[in-house]
Amino acid sequence: MAENSLPQIKKKRKIRVNLATLILIPMSLVALLPFIWMILGSFKTGAEIRQIPPTFFPQTFTLDNYRKVLTDPQLPLGLFYRNSAIIAVANVIQVLFTSSLLGYIFAKFEFKFKKVIFWFILATMMIPSQLTMIPGYLILAKLGLINNLLGLIVPAAVDAFGIFLFRQFAQSVPNELLDAARVDGAGEFKIYFKIVLPQLGPALATLGMLTFMFNWNAYLWPLIVLTEQKVRTLPIILTWFSSRMVSNDHYTMAASVLVILPVLIVYLFVQKWIVEGITLSGLKG
Amino acid sequence: MAHQITSDKPNKLRSAFNLFRFREKNRRDKREKQFVGAIITPLILYMAFWTLLPLIFGIALAFFEYSARRAGGPILGFGGDNPFVGLQHFKNMLDFSPNAPLQVRQFHSGFKITILFALLVVPLNLLITLPLAFMIESVHKKLKGIFRTIFFLPVLAPSVGVAIMWGFIYHPQRGLLNAIIGLFAGKLIGINWTGNPNLVVAGIPVALFAVIIAYIWQDLGYNLVIFIAALQAIPQSLKDAAKIDGASDWKTFLHVIIPLMMPTILLTVVLTTISAFQVFDIIQVMTDGGPADQTKVLLLSIYDYAFRYQRMGWAAAISFVLFLLIFSVSLIQTKLLRSEWEY
Repeated sequence: MAENSLPQIKKKRKIRVNLATLILIPMSLVALLPFIWMILGSFKTGAEIRQIPPTFFPQTFTLDNYRKVLTDPQLPLGLFYRNSAIIAVANVIQVLFTSSLLGYIFAKFEFKFKKVIFWFILATMMIPSQLTMIPGYLILAKLGLINNLLGLIVPAAVDAFGIFLFRQFAQSVPNELLDAARVDGAGEFKIYFKIVLPQLGPALATLGMLTFMFNWNAYLWPLIVLTEQKVRTLPIILTWFSSRMVSNDHYTMAASVLVILPVLIVYLFVQKWIVEGITLSGLKG
Repeated sequence: MAHQITSDKPNKLRSAFNLFRFREKNRRDKREKQFVGAIITPLILYMAFWTLLPLIFGIALAFFEYSARRAGGPILGFGGDNPFVGLQHFKNMLDFSPNAPLQVRQFHSGFKITILFALLVVPLNLLITLPLAFMIESVHKKLKGIFRTIFFLPVLAPSVGVAIMWGFIYHPQRGLLNAIIGLFAGKLIGINWTGNPNLVVAGIPVALFAVIIAYIWQDLGYNLVIFIAALQAIPQSLKDAAKIDGASDWKTFLHVIIPLMMPTILLTVVLTTISAFQVFDIIQVMTDGGPADQTKVLLLSIYDYAFRYQRMGWAAAISFVLFLLIFSVSLIQTKLLRSEWEY
């Protein structure tokens, strides 16, 4: 009996696999449609884009939209890429440094008020950003950091979620390793740099990716802090450009492709870390 | 006797060594303490400066009539031209009469829209992501990664880009959606999905549905990868056992998989709700709260009143209400997760 039912199960599973695949293929095409529509549109001429009803595939394939966007003196994309990159990279470096250091300390050291301080850090995660948005802006204004890229870097130097994440990871660093280094006379900073940090590779990659992505895609806070054109980041510039090009969708589409796709392609290669970060924490960005 | 004599020497040696070790350990303990103190103290104070100060400042703002453009009093601009108004903002919020000021009516509708947005987003998200995760988990290994990547891709895109992409889909004349409907209907379709306040289905504005679809399209990747991970954690033997008992796939999903995933599902419900309460980017870019304020969620009102109209006290009061809304959901979360959180 049992021997008879086993092949049946196998057969059944194969059918289900096929059915699921049959459903998933059209679903994933629909999911990709917004991307496809934008990419196809970026190669259409102005006349074609204004055609009603619209065409799906470009009838006359053109690169003019990209030429126009890349040479528009009012849209120095290089500058905005630079602004976004400075903010994202600076945040990654400082957050990785403070998170790994504090996470390691909370995992491996005993000290006064440890529990209280850790609860305080967890509690700050409960403060939603929109409650601190207005006073945060006022404090930055007092410090003269409005319209300054530092306004998006300075307040974010210590990250509660990062500390929490690194504390989990640092707990698995063997104590014997640390003690051995101490007996050998290594200083605490040296131990952190030479022994602890190399063991935290996966956590560094995960938090690094999440921090980069969060800062690169951020909109509301940069919108408030950066009001002058020359310091703005890519997402703000993209909305500004699209609102100026209301009846020139082909230009906006080309600009959107140039802003969205390069980074998206890079993410594809490192998405493992991002997915891991999300599933590990269950925390949303 | 002999035994004692022979062991005397090593004992002395050992105690001398222990003393050395004790001193050495003391020295190291001191160095560790210095290290911890030198790191913890400045960093935690720094963190407190950027979290506690804005928190107190933000709550205080809700009791003032405040504008960044007025000089005000000496301490952070409180007082003087930025007068203390006590609970006035909160009292105004409770004015439900039809001739209440515009800002109050906007707050009431914003509150309703925010709740409605979350109430629609959360179940729709789960209805898509749960079966999707189950299907993706069941296909061939090589396809699995491709499908997961495709549905996860929008998570990685800036939400501003998502809003602009969906704007091209919803465009009344040049949009893809109307073109597809027109193809089936055999005539030109010019539905203004995000700009016509008279388009209302079952009491819910179509524009709100439009932004919700774009929002879910971007957001579903989060829950999807969480559910896939949860599915992978379920032992294969349990799934097989159900099948040997003759349960269909659908029954296995409903009666075995779903109950096993309940803790994960509850967690994602809470997290999805909290982030839905804080929606801003997609709506601001797609509709800017329109048409006729039909998609104006609370955070959009907060932004407008604080940074467009310079009424920061009123905006801070709305922020406080939104905070309470989020906080009440967070409380449920900590209750749910208490068993897993051990410190």
